[in-house]
This record gives sequence, structure tokens and C-alpha cells, in this order.
Amino acid sequence: MITTLVGNYPKVAEDTYSTKLIGSISKWQRQEMTDAQLEDILREITRAVIQEQEQAGLDLLTDGQIRWEDLVTPMAKRIEGFEINGLSRWFDNNVYYRRPVLHKKPVRKGPILVDEYRFAAGCTKKPVKAVLPGPTTFATVSEDRHFKSERRLILALAEIINAEALALAEAGAPLIQFDEPALGFGKPNMALAVEALGIATKGVKSKTAVYTYFGSLNGALSPLMKAKVDVVGIDIVSEPKTLGALKRTKITKELAVGCLDGRNTKLESVGELHALFNVLKKLVPADRLYINPNCGLEFLPHPQAHAKVRRLAEAARTYRGR
Amino acid sequence: MLLTTSVGSLPKPEYLMKARSQARKGELSAKELRQLEERATREWIKTQEELGIDVIVDGEQYRGDMVAYFAEHLGGFQNSQLVRSYGNRYYRKPIIMGKITRPKPITIDWWKFSQRLTKHPVKGMLTGPYTIMDWSFNEYYPSRRAATLAIAQVVREEARDLEKAGAQYIQVDEPAISTRPEEMDLAIEALGIVTKGLKAKTITHICYGNFTAIGPKLHKLPVDQIDLEFANRDFELLDFFKGKRFSKEVGLGVVDVHNHRIESRDEVVSNLKRALKVFKPEQVYVDPDCGLKTRTVEEAVDKLRVVVDAARAVREQLVN
Repeated sequence: MITTLVGNYPKVAEDTYSTKLIGSISKWQRQEMTDAQLEDILREITRAVIQEQEQAGLDLLTDGQIRWEDLVTPMAKRIEGFEINGLSRWFDNNVYYRRPVLHKKPVRKGPILVDEYRFAAGCTKKPVKAVLPGPTTFATVSEDRHFKSERRLILALAEIINAEALALAEAGAPLIQFDEPALGFGKPNMALAVEALGIATKGVKSKTAVYTYFGSLNGALSPLMKAKVDVVGIDIVSEPKTLGALKRTKITKELAVGCLDGRNTKLESVGELHALFNVLKKLVPADRLYINPNCGLEFLPHPQAHAKVRRLAEAARTYRGR
Repeated sequence: MLLTTSVGSLPKPEYLMKARSQARKGELSAKELRQLEERATREWIKTQEELGIDVIVDGEQYRGDMVAYFAEHLGGFQNSQLVRSYGNRYYRKPIIMGKITRPKPITIDWWKFSQRLTKHPVKGMLTGPYTIMDWSFNEYYPSRRAATLAIAQVVREEARDLEKAGAQYIQVDEPAISTRPEEMDLAIEALGIVTKGLKAKTITHICYGNFTAIGPKLHKLPVDQIDLEFANRDFELLDFFKGKRFSKEVGLGVVDVHNHRIESRDEVVSNLKRALKVFKPEQVYVDPDCGLKTRTVEEAVDKLRVVVDAARAVREQLVN
């Protein structure tokens, strides 16, 4: 059983690593702070976030996406062809992201996340995974004024994501995760989503994972088992029926199961997590199981996010030790 | 017909922004802050009267976030540390930690204060139970439904007190209602608890979101008037209502609140006329898309002026 987080983590912490990022970004926006000065602060907080995961005892770490405005902006703003537009709602959350608008053929001019990955990996001896938006989600939250075709947009983005995944694997990422929250909403074209994931992971030597979260995976589970990825991430908190659907699905991949609620402060008990692990162990052997919160922890204030990290590690430790 | 109003919040003048920040740091007493909030409220009511707005709001000069304000005055809530809303913007999201109670009326004193200043009706402004639930964490109630229904009871008490105080219009905002279409029935049930038996005209403002999913249930919202954003999506929303004989009143947002540009009177007149091909004039109230608090004071006044001028022009054409 491998413990991990989904991706993002609170950028500010009144109780530990301070809220100075807020003021620093404002100053940087007003050009009262240089890029290098802001970079120092981003690195300092990234290091603190990695340390918290390490001290809690998680197995597979993330950089907490401290410099990410949202899942897609960091990529979109460095892909030629996109313009970052106004605020839109981030799925079913009272949280907003800036909608990328594609005006012309998207072109990746060079590595995007590799430097920040290298820095994060250098902060710890534990493995650090890399996270990218999945092609279907990237396309769903963007506005397409170029291709005017869902298929062509998704496939073009899949190629770009693949180039980035290859670069991250090259940089040493042991696992590359593709986030696909969009698959939980409406009636996604699963055949296309799976085809695009195949492109995104093509030639990637590291382990690959697709993570779904929010919404409910009506009929998306079985197709996902056919995607060319090693791990399938499932949120069983947002829609409790998903666990039942998972039991009815032929599981051919390693599973990453979102067991703690990353969107509510209420802390799960060790007992209820153990009960859940018992159920999951029947679905997939423990060495093919990742456990994590159902989504990034940035929806929570820092003290509660930190408590969930520690609870996750504690529940796994005591479970293994039984 | 075509009465003019606004959705709720109005921008806080510079001196009040400064005072709120000083009060947070403990450099200004609650009493001193209150005096400035009253001054800003008086100014906004006078401005709305001078502009000729028919149904007035107090501008919510004493409120910060529309959910946090109620959470701070209700029992059962605690404030959280910072969470990010987008970009570099953070807020404190309330946490439900115990049974929700209303120790005393929340908005009634402010409503009375404002109504004493004007002969125009002043709207009572509340945040709806579904939105308060959705924008809070919940550690106490076993489900989102249980939390929503508990909040509905205290919002109902507040609505009844507003009516008792004399409010002719009570608006219960549910901007979160379009977030999860599968919870629309819960939102409707909770709003029904709030509005049941009220004689005042009831209104709800909802923000656009996933309109295709919630649109078919709009007529089930237990209020007299539904206030919607039309301007920020170029009045596309009219297509939804075409040929439907929508029986409720409609609050028609005719200026975009997220844009610095001041719409011209002519464009608002022309959009209003488009709307009147779908709605009857006596069914329509005219207002900005949403609360104006994110605009500057000058922009807000200019936008409100366009709302009034355009509504008047169309009214005159209808009469002649």
C-alpha cells in the first residue's frame, strides 16, 4: 500500500510556513519584487510542503503545486496558441480558474515543468511524482477557437502533454500522473479520452497514472481499465456509489483510491480508514494499491490539510503493522 | 412596469475600505467603524434615490463575504484559516462545528436604518441556505442535506423578522444553486422553507453556471421573482425562455458587473427590447447582472445610471 497525495497543497499556512506568498505575489505583480526574489519564496514553501509530507511518513510525494494557479494555467501560459482568459468555476467547487482560449495551433516551445520538478525531487530522498493535466480535462476547461473540433483539440493537447511527460520521465520522475476530473461530469467521450491517454503516455518509461476526482464515474470505470496507464485513480468520497461500481468492475490496473475527503475539514478516523482498506484489499492486492485523499488538499485550510496528511500516513502505518 | 433595482452589494468607498482594514488590525473601534458604515449606507441610498432607482438596496457596506457575514452572526459556525479561491485571492471559509442557531436577528437593524432614510422600498437581503452550506465546511451534520435544512430554519426566522419589520421585498440569494445540478431539488426544498407563508415579494438571484442543467427546474423555485445575469453572455439566456410562458417575474441583468466598460444607453435599450419579445413588461425588473461590489464607486454609479436611463426610455416608448 503506497500513500500519496493527489497534487496540490495549501500555498499558505498561518500555523507553519507563513502566508508571505500572498504579499510576495502582489509585490511581484506590482513589479516591486524581482522574479528571482519570488522564486526564492516559491522554493522555500515548496521545500516546506515536501518536508511536511516526508515527516508525516508518506511514501510518494508531490511538490504541492505551490506555483500553480490551477491545473491548466501553468501549461497553457507556456504553450503558444493559448491566451489566458477570465474566471470560470472549477467543476463543482466554489473555486475558480482562468479559462485558456486557443487561438491558433498549439505549440510547445520547450520543457515547461521540468525545472520545478528537478527542484522538488532534489528536496527529498523520497520519490516525487510529476502531475500533468489529462488531455480530456485540458480540452474541456479550455475554449477552442482554432480547431473547432473536440477530437482534434484533445489529440493535439495529448501530443503536447506527451512531450512534457517524456521530458519529466527523462528528468527522473518515477511516476507521471495525468489528472482527468472532467471524466466525472456529463457524458464524456470515453473512447476518445482513452485514445488520448494512450498518446499522452506513449514512450514514457516511468510509471503512469490517470487520476479522476469529483463528480461520479458513470460508466467511465470499465473504459479506464483499458487506458494505456499503469494506475487508475478513483475518488470514492465525492460519490459514495463509486465504491460499489468499482466492486462490479474488472480491475486490470493498479488502483489509487481517494479515501479522505480533500474538500471537507472533518477528519476521518483511523478506524473508518482501516475498514475501507479491508474492502479495497479484496479488490486489488496491497502491492497494487495507492491510497490518497480524493483530490488535492488545497481546498482545505492548512491545519486541516496537514492533519489529513498525518492521518493518511498513520492509518497506513498502523494497518501494515497489524 | 420595468421597475429598476440592483442585486445587492455596492462598492465600498475608499474611506470605508481603509477603516475596515484598520478595524481588523485593532486600530479602529467597532463603534467608529459602524459610523463609517452608516455614512456609506446613507450615501448609497441618496445616490440610488437621485438616480431614480425604484427598489433600493442598502449596498451591504457592513458585510464582507455574503456567506461569512451570516456565519459570523449564527451559532454553530467557526472561522477557518485561509483557503484560496483563485489566483492570489484567499478567504476564510466557515466551518459548521455545532448545531446552527440564530441567537438574535442579524440584518433587521440595518434594514430599519436604511428604510428610515428613504420612501422607496428597501429590499431585505439574505443569503440562501444551499449557498451557505455549499460555501462552508461541515463537521457537524451527517450530510449536505441535513446541514442545508438546518440552515434553512434560521434563514426563515430572519426572513420572517424582515417581513415583520415591514420589508416588501425579500431577496434570498442562491448563487451556488447552479454548481451541482443533482442537488437542485435540495436547494428548492430549502428555499421553500425560507419563503413559505411570506407575504412580501420574494426574489432569488442565481448566477449562471450550468444553466442547461438547472434551467428546466427554474419554475419550481419557490419565489415570486428570479434574478439572472443576461448581459455577461450577450443575452443568449433569452433563447431558453423563448416560447415558454415563464410565469414568474424576472430580474433582468442588463449590465455586466465584471467588466470596466460602461454600457451605452442605446445598447441596453436594444437588449431590453429583445427581452420584451420574450417577457411581458409587467413581469420584468431591470438591474445589473450581479452585485456591483467589485466595481469602483464611479463605475457602479455609471452602470446604475445606464440601467435607469434605458429602462425609462423603454417605458416611455411602451406607453406612447
